[in-house]
Amino acid sequence: MVVKSVIIRPELCVGCMQCMIRCAEAHSESGVLALAVSEAVLAKPRIHIGVGPELRPFPNKCRHCEPAPCQEACMPGAIRSDIAEGLKIVDMARCIGCGMCGMVCPYFAIRYYPAAQVAGHGAVAIKCDGCHERVARGQVPACVEACVTGALAFEDVNRHMNAGVNRLANAALGVTA
Amino acid sequence: MSKTDFSDLTICKDAQQMLAKAREEGVETVWDRKRAQEPHCGFCELGLSCRNCAMGPCRIDPFGHGPQRGVCGADAHVIVARNVGRSVASGAAAHSDHGRDLVETLHAIGEGSTTDYTIRDPEKLARIAVELGIETAGKDTNALARAVSERLFEDYGIRRNSLAFIGRAPQKRRDLWKKLGITPRGIDREVVEMMHRTHMGVDNEPVNLLLHAARVALSDGWAGSLTATELSDVIFGTPTPRVAQVNLAVLKEDHVNILVHGHNPIVSEAILAATKDPGLIKAAKDKGAAGINLAGLCCTGNELLMRQGIPMAGNHLMSELAIVTGAVDLIIVDYQCIMPGLVTVAGCYHSKVITTSPKAHFSGAEHVEFSLDNARQKALQAVGMAIEAYSGRDPKRVFIPGSPVPMMTGFSNEAVIGALGGTLTPLIDAIKAGQIRGAVGIVGCNNPRVKHDFANSELAKELIKRDILVLVTGCATVSTGKQGLLMPEAASLAGPGLSAVCRALGIPPVLHVGSCVDNSRIMSLCAALATTLGVDISDLPVAAAAPEWYSEKAVAIGLYAVASGVFTVLGVTPPVLGSSVVAGLLTNGLEGVVGATFAIEPDPCKAAELIDARIRTKRLALGLSA
Repeated sequence: MVVKSVIIRPELCVGCMQCMIRCAEAHSESGVLALAVSEAVLAKPRIHIGVGPELRPFPNKCRHCEPAPCQEACMPGAIRSDIAEGLKIVDMARCIGCGMCGMVCPYFAIRYYPAAQVAGHGAVAIKCDGCHERVARGQVPACVEACVTGALAFEDVNRHMNAGVNRLANAALGVTA
Repeated sequence: MSKTDFSDLTICKDAQQMLAKAREEGVETVWDRKRAQEPHCGFCELGLSCRNCAMGPCRIDPFGHGPQRGVCGADAHVIVARNVGRSVASGAAAHSDHGRDLVETLHAIGEGSTTDYTIRDPEKLARIAVELGIETAGKDTNALARAVSERLFEDYGIRRNSLAFIGRAPQKRRDLWKKLGITPRGIDREVVEMMHRTHMGVDNEPVNLLLHAARVALSDGWAGSLTATELSDVIFGTPTPRVAQVNLAVLKEDHVNILVHGHNPIVSEAILAATKDPGLIKAAKDKGAAGINLAGLCCTGNELLMRQGIPMAGNHLMSELAIVTGAVDLIIVDYQCIMPGLVTVAGCYHSKVITTSPKAHFSGAEHVEFSLDNARQKALQAVGMAIEAYSGRDPKRVFIPGSPVPMMTGFSNEAVIGALGGTLTPLIDAIKAGQIRGAVGIVGCNNPRVKHDFANSELAKELIKRDILVLVTGCATVSTGKQGLLMPEAASLAGPGLSAVCRALGIPPVLHVGSCVDNSRIMSLCAALATTLGVDISDLPVAAAAPEWYSEKAVAIGLYAVASGVFTVLGVTPPVLGSSVVAGLLTNGLEGVVGATFAIEPDPCKAAELIDARIRTKRLALGLSA
């Protein structure tokens, strides 16, 4: 089975942050930007734009590692593999907000905020859930849909690599594609 | 890309057929470009992006994760308010600069420096002179034209600090503006001051910014636009009711087809005159055409429609599709709402695009510059170019869909009052009796983000059903006209009270009152009603709606309506939701300040309910039946 994932090409990113705003929208209660910005507990983005040399933008999100250091560090077992295939998803009801997952995440992909889904809890771990509900509905992840430059793509990683080999071959052999 | 059904984009059959033709012929339209732009910028949709200075650009994160202040320190409320302010300034500037061109024309007529234009309604000029306190005794028409234009030039300056027509607003309203410090002082002044205030480091209090935005808008509604309307009537004639036609079928396969597009009648009236030139008609016939056919698009189309009964080919979103018929030989434009994409679409056919204003050049179009002393000659030249272009028409690519729909037009305030026997009393009596429960102006544009013509026409249908008289201007005219609502027969769709009034007077339940600057006619009518009744405009059972608005001009119109006391429903969400302060003030807080607010409601049925509830409240407060 081909599993698609979000593939990032930082060289195409212009730092517009549309992925962040649409990610938060997609994870809000209403799912509609105009309403989402006035919800009692604001949704938060799960993709972030870092800043590199010469202010070059760097989109960054959870890689859904296997094995996942965050999952191994999570004592209440809140980071689950059994919700959607290939994804590490935070079960907010189990999360105690201890911060261990963030400490061990090699990609700094986790943030801590109160969430509308567990009203009354303190801050819980907020990270990419692969937009598994959108994908199940036949949509692409919200960040990918928002990206106008192609810096984020939703595709089979092996096909992406194959296409990359062709680009490399063209460059190496001096042929313009 | 085999899409053939376009009913999700537009309710109009002619538009659907042209979209299919465009798709087949590989022609990109506004809808294709809109799709390519999606998703739109979320920060911009909320009004949370700022490009006013080079320390940025800045964005505020509406979800509270990222930055909450721009580099300068402005928060979401300041940024949203500044952006609204600049939109209003741009919209007011557009109307008011259009008005200025008419003041200059009137002045040139008075000076005798143009013979290409004359004064067709000298009585209206004299009435305006009296209204402006100008001594009329012993002055001929040209002297009056000079005196009136010189007084109106002052509206564009800072010498007087008061506007010529402001006395039309009811005393109570003027007192309120004075109390709030939003009485407009000068047309250009308010716009310039808004650009100043929104520069970095000037006005950083959102409520103060919005109050000035209201003042800018009022300088449009009670001066810039009003001047454009009144002087257009003076120069080109005050409209009277007549029947014309609408939709793409007003184009004629066997004629040279010329479309006028833009806003100012100065160009379109000159073109109209040139199409009647016997030499040019003969030249067209020599090329094998049966004659020269002129039709309008957008507001300059409305200007010719109102005064001359020239047919309307379509509204904003129809402008490219008109060219897709393959039957348009020449499209002549001045300014505002002319999509640059029009030139590209025209390039896919034999159609020629001619620009006329030094303010509005378009890459790829041919420029024939019109001025007050050459308009006649340039118009003849342009029509000659249309005849030349006709020779290049490919008959195999011509497809004009359907047949034209008749529509009644020409309901200037003078015509309405004339039809009522010279006073507003019969209208007031009908309102008091509940035959006409209230009146609503449906104004504004089309927007590809909502289904073309759907909300404009559905709202009109919903309102007339409820015995609410509808007045239309601008692109909403074509939306409702194409649905047959601008004919007296549409009385059968109205409630019993309105229907009876329409039948008695032989008028439609939806009245065409002009172009977008002619929204000033609606304000003047509201003012006259309020003054007659001894109340404020905000006490009247009236409302406004812009169900498919897109332009900054619509923002200015909406705000001058609200600041004048008219509840206004917007069908497209303006970019203000990023600030709870600004959104709250516009949709709620302003009620306690100016006696009216905006509402945002894309569903025309729900919008009609909101308006109905408003009218009910206002009627009860006046001691009338609901």
